[in-house]
Amino acid sequence: MQLAVDVQIPECFGGIAGEAVFIDTEGSFMVDRVVDIAAACVQHCHLIAEAQQEEDLRKALETFSLENILSHIYYFRCRDYTELLAQVYLLPEFLSEHSKVRLVVIDGIAFPFRHDFEDLSLRTRLLNGLAQQLIIIANDHKSAVVLTNQMTTRIGQSQSTLVPALGESWGHAATVRLIFHWDNSQRLATLYKSPSQKESTIAYHITSHGFRDVQPPAVTHSTEGTELNPRKRPRTEEEKQ
Amino acid sequence: MDWDQFDLNPKTIAALKKADIKSVKEVLNLSGADLQRLMKLSSADIQCLLKTVSHTLRRNSMLTALQLYQDKDHFTSQHQKLSLGCSVLDNLLKGGIPLVGITELAGESSAGKTQISLQLCLCVQYPYKYGGLESGAVYICTEDVFPSKRLQQLIDQQHKLRADVPAEIIQKIRFGNSIFVEQAADLDTFQQCITRRLSLLLARGMVRLVVIDSIAALFRCEFGAAQSALKARYLQTFGAQLHSLSTRYRTPIMCINQVWQQTVSYSTGTGSRVTPALGITWSNQLLMRLMVSRVSLPGHSPGAAAHCAGSVRTLSVIFAPHLPPSFCYYTVQLEGVKGIK
Repeated sequence: MQLAVDVQIPECFGGIAGEAVFIDTEGSFMVDRVVDIAAACVQHCHLIAEAQQEEDLRKALETFSLENILSHIYYFRCRDYTELLAQVYLLPEFLSEHSKVRLVVIDGIAFPFRHDFEDLSLRTRLLNGLAQQLIIIANDHKSAVVLTNQMTTRIGQSQSTLVPALGESWGHAATVRLIFHWDNSQRLATLYKSPSQKESTIAYHITSHGFRDVQPPAVTHSTEGTELNPRKRPRTEEEKQ
Repeated sequence: MDWDQFDLNPKTIAALKKADIKSVKEVLNLSGADLQRLMKLSSADIQCLLKTVSHTLRRNSMLTALQLYQDKDHFTSQHQKLSLGCSVLDNLLKGGIPLVGITELAGESSAGKTQISLQLCLCVQYPYKYGGLESGAVYICTEDVFPSKRLQQLIDQQHKLRADVPAEIIQKIRFGNSIFVEQAADLDTFQQCITRRLSLLLARGMVRLVVIDSIAALFRCEFGAAQSALKARYLQTFGAQLHSLSTRYRTPIMCINQVWQQTVSYSTGTGSRVTPALGITWSNQLLMRLMVSRVSLPGHSPGAAAHCAGSVRTLSVIFAPHLPPSFCYYTVQLEGVKGIK
């Protein structure tokens, strides 16, 4: 939800002025929460504009309003994996018609695939197919693709560990992997897989306004948890809950 | 499957029938290469087939977040929630229980889970204007006997709990008639109950709340440590079935869960903590998790001592997509569960 708002931030504020597609498989997209996050983002930009007193900032704010932000989040609800597969087949056409979309979110990719499959090889094949289609979409439409996944317990020799769901082969589908976890009551995000950044962990908060730093922004990378650098080539990412 | 209804060219339709492909699901489950081979059509024809069936399945499925926000219709709106019958508790949950999804209520025994559930079974019967859904409830008991006496007490005292509702309206509601009690002490009976009885009641519009008291009891005896994979399968299957019913009929599912002591390792060492039973497999099925506990406060908060015969309890939000972790206090009175400001 945070990303679906942030992708719309106007360029003069450091954003990429894009639109977002949100595919919901779990029914956890609560629009009231998106409103809170969006309102905080608009407020934040207003404060910047007032502080810097520049004409182009103020002009950009005329179209960066709560209603505008909400109207550019395209929401699809998929109730089972067949609907999800169908929706992904239709995405390229949708993205061609809505060329300003710069973000596709699937929340969550695991939910429709973790029951109902006697035959795991069918599941693996379908997931691989889905991953390939999403990679093509990311490249053809210059759009970031973000998937959320569940964690599951892997029972090992002497202990059990928490690992991302959907198995080993799914781990290869994503270019970037972020794992969110807790230490006591501190939220942490670990960059687990990335072609260009090294593995590291940062702390963050979730406030009523959305994702925020733990410390004042002296931190150079990932200021808002998973914000994208618009100058980097868009890639397939995967966040974990 | 009547392929003639689809906007496909006759060659494709004939090939579908010849290859004995019977559903949209089958089409989408096959890879492009398999479809080409089975139907002996070109890649372009297959792409066209995939697009057409996908369009048919997903017709008119897009909404913008703005449309979701502005939707005020009783049935479809996200703003519509099931009230708990108390404004303090409703405020904690920003309106009440969301209509789509599984909400869990976990806690130690006698913390008040059954009390809250019974109260919800009455709340759901009120008009939309008063936070209800104008329909009945199904109460599935998996271990204890249904507390009918307590239910009757609560019914008799509704006018006291719901002072916000005019007396004529309360009088008109036949509370007892719209609560359907089911017993399901083992997994198979439970499975039957969900797939048959529950589907029927929901399809007929007779209920818009499902309470399962408790989900943990179903799994207590039957599974040893070695069968964790099987247990996980059951949990995922039930979770998916309940989720599907909830989505289809826009009906909240309230699952009561027990808690167990779990050793947790922190970066600073290990400790023991009370957590809801059934592990991460179950919590992945949930939209929202609430916990209740008894609190023994040495010096009672102002006002609490005035009306409670028993102790003060806390209702906490553990996780929810739209709520911060938070809690409030409440007591269990004769007329029901009431939050304390």
